[in-house]
Amino acid sequence: MARKDLLDIASLHREEIEFLLDQSTSFKKLFTRSVKKIPALEGKSVLMLFYEASTRTHSSFEVAAKRLSAEVTNFNVDHSSITKGESVRETIETLQAMRTDYIVVRHSHSGLPGMIARQTTASVINAGDGAHEHPTQALLDAFTIKEKFPDPRGKKVLIIGDILHSRVARSTSTLLQKLGIEVAYLGPGSLVPKYVPASIPRFTDYEAAMAWAPDVVYLLRVQLERQDVQFFPSVREYHRVYGITNTRLAEISDKGLYIMHPGPVNRGVELCDAVMDYERSLITNQVENGISVRMAVLDWLTPGGDFPKQEAYAAQPRAGSTVIMP
Amino acid sequence: MLLLQNARIASENSPVLLESDVLIVEGKIQAIGSNLAIPEGARVIDARGRILMPGMFDAHVHFRAPGFENKETITTGSEAAINGGITGVVMMPNTRPALDSATAVATVLENARDRARIPVYTSGCVTKNREGKELAEIEGMRELGVKMLTDDGDTTADPAVLLRAMQYATEFGMFFASHCEVPELAGPRALNEGVMSYRLGIKGSPACAEEIIIDRDIRLARAAGAHVHIQHVSSKLGMETIRWWKSRGDVKVTAEVAPHHLLFTDEHIGDYDTNYKMNPPLRTQADCDALLEGLKEGVLDLIATDHAPHTPFEKAQDFISAPNGITGLDTALVSLYHHFVAPGKFGWDLVVKRYSAEPRRLMGLPVAAIEVGQPADCVLFDTDAETTFTKDFMKSKSQNTPFIDQTLKGSVDLVVLGTEVLLER
Ligand SMILES: [Zn+2]
Repeated sequence: MARKDLLDIASLHREEIEFLLDQSTSFKKLFTRSVKKIPALEGKSVLMLFYEASTRTHSSFEVAAKRLSAEVTNFNVDHSSITKGESVRETIETLQAMRTDYIVVRHSHSGLPGMIARQTTASVINAGDGAHEHPTQALLDAFTIKEKFPDPRGKKVLIIGDILHSRVARSTSTLLQKLGIEVAYLGPGSLVPKYVPASIPRFTDYEAAMAWAPDVVYLLRVQLERQDVQFFPSVREYHRVYGITNTRLAEISDKGLYIMHPGPVNRGVELCDAVMDYERSLITNQVENGISVRMAVLDWLTPGGDFPKQEAYAAQPRAGSTVIMP
Repeated sequence: MLLLQNARIASENSPVLLESDVLIVEGKIQAIGSNLAIPEGARVIDARGRILMPGMFDAHVHFRAPGFENKETITTGSEAAINGGITGVVMMPNTRPALDSATAVATVLENARDRARIPVYTSGCVTKNREGKELAEIEGMRELGVKMLTDDGDTTADPAVLLRAMQYATEFGMFFASHCEVPELAGPRALNEGVMSYRLGIKGSPACAEEIIIDRDIRLARAAGAHVHIQHVSSKLGMETIRWWKSRGDVKVTAEVAPHHLLFTDEHIGDYDTNYKMNPPLRTQADCDALLEGLKEGVLDLIATDHAPHTPFEKAQDFISAPNGITGLDTALVSLYHHFVAPGKFGWDLVVKRYSAEPRRLMGLPVAAIEVGQPADCVLFDTDAETTFTKDFMKSKSQNTPFIDQTLKGSVDLVVLGTEVLLER
């Protein structure tokens, strides 16, 4: 059951998921000890390759790797330049030469971590690729839910927001379904595609979604930086229609529902300030659990092995410019 | 002198293959009949069991020259055509510089005369540098024999510009070929919008982005009294839109389909395989089925590959960074045989009609046929043999095709054009 890479949730087997969640529990117990470090990855190197800025995920992986006694290197990615696949491939050549054991990669292009994984012997962990997957986020979400519902089968999670662009929605919904949890989507019609899998009910109305009786309300971050294309008329309207307003929080509190959010939160957009003090908010638990889940993943993967040689890769002339042509 | 004995002759007019000897003398078909006498000095080929048909003609190829000779040249492109049993092609004008003037067209045609063993025709741009703003030098290109005007790869965005071009160029007997896509709807990623685009997390291009322009351009052609040719139709509703307009009979419309749109769906993209990244994108099985129906019915007049070579280096990037397009010339005829003729989905008559006769009619060229008195322009195809599309087999400079390393039924054994034997396996 050893794997070289963790690229997605879709290809994970149920036993692998159960194993990772169990391991996360053990790693979490370590946190209460005075010495939090174990030598599991001593002498190994973990390279952080973040083409998209992310304080939260980046530092969570870094802490996880260090607690396993790995050496952590940050590969300097120039966030200002457009990082196309071509330049990434040059980077991979460098990385392969560095003989790093693990590569944690985040990139705005879906499928790019998979491309790296095919071209290096290092274990590649997808820390978020475009609107595709974010597997460790899904694992920490599942772990957080299981802490509240040890047998989560039949529980219901309502995911609210920008499903179209959300890798969190994709990975987390896939994983929760594999654990027997029901998932539904709610969001603006422009951000909840009509063609989401039929197994996921799709709501466009908050009341109807609440009538579905979720146990957890999972709010996605509104990508305000994406508002060059308008997917909804205004942030204020979004909060009124899809956000957790004070009135809605009261209802959620009455029903005893849990609230989750992958962070960072846009206060006053996805949720009102009061949610941060809500006793059944699991938002800080998610952050904390991220470390133990990522330790479990790093500990589980096995670097090395053969990877398909990309013949195309050597000695090809670099194209002068990349033009999208038919 | 060449005598082909006992070949089975395919024609666009009959599903029945006529077994016969064919004698070619001085580049012309001199006699067809059983047990023809062997003239002195004639080379005799035992063609028993093999299919003899006219050479194919591809009305949509990208030869990348000038400007992108690292992807393809006129020489390698035309050799790929011969390798696949194709004896004439029409180049698209999205080169660098774009073929938007008599000077640019003249250079290409001159190169083709020197460097290609088959006739290479070219289309010209509708607008200068394919920018959709100013009309290209249309009449100058016409003088050099250009018939087809297109900004292929990009839709001529402003309908007023296209309408004026249609009004102007129709007077010169030219027609318009349209790459149909509303760019604002499509996004740049060449993936069908649907279940697969959701799963892969890539912005998809909805079929309506194509269908809107199909309808728009036919309406413009109707208004201008022009002939519009719809390129590489990929969607069911697009095909049905063309069918509806054709049934009205008050506008001249023709249309083409690429083998890959008949054969593959977005599901084939699997784990971001860039060999399935093309524009228009691969859609669904329902679309494939409708396109096949449209092809048989004649709503789609012809098959064209949209042969679009890219270097391995470019295609080995991630799906989003990789350029759109796949090669098609080396593989077209064999893949049509393997997937359609062999399983009985259509006959050789349809292949000849849609991939040899109709494209030549579109271009106003004489139609090749295996008939006495016709110039020799023929392909001998072995239905029992197999072809493995290895890198070495391909004559195109690029190998960005889903067929790479696949083995399919059928083999192009012999290509004869005029007095030359262009290919013999
Ligand atoms: Zn094209």
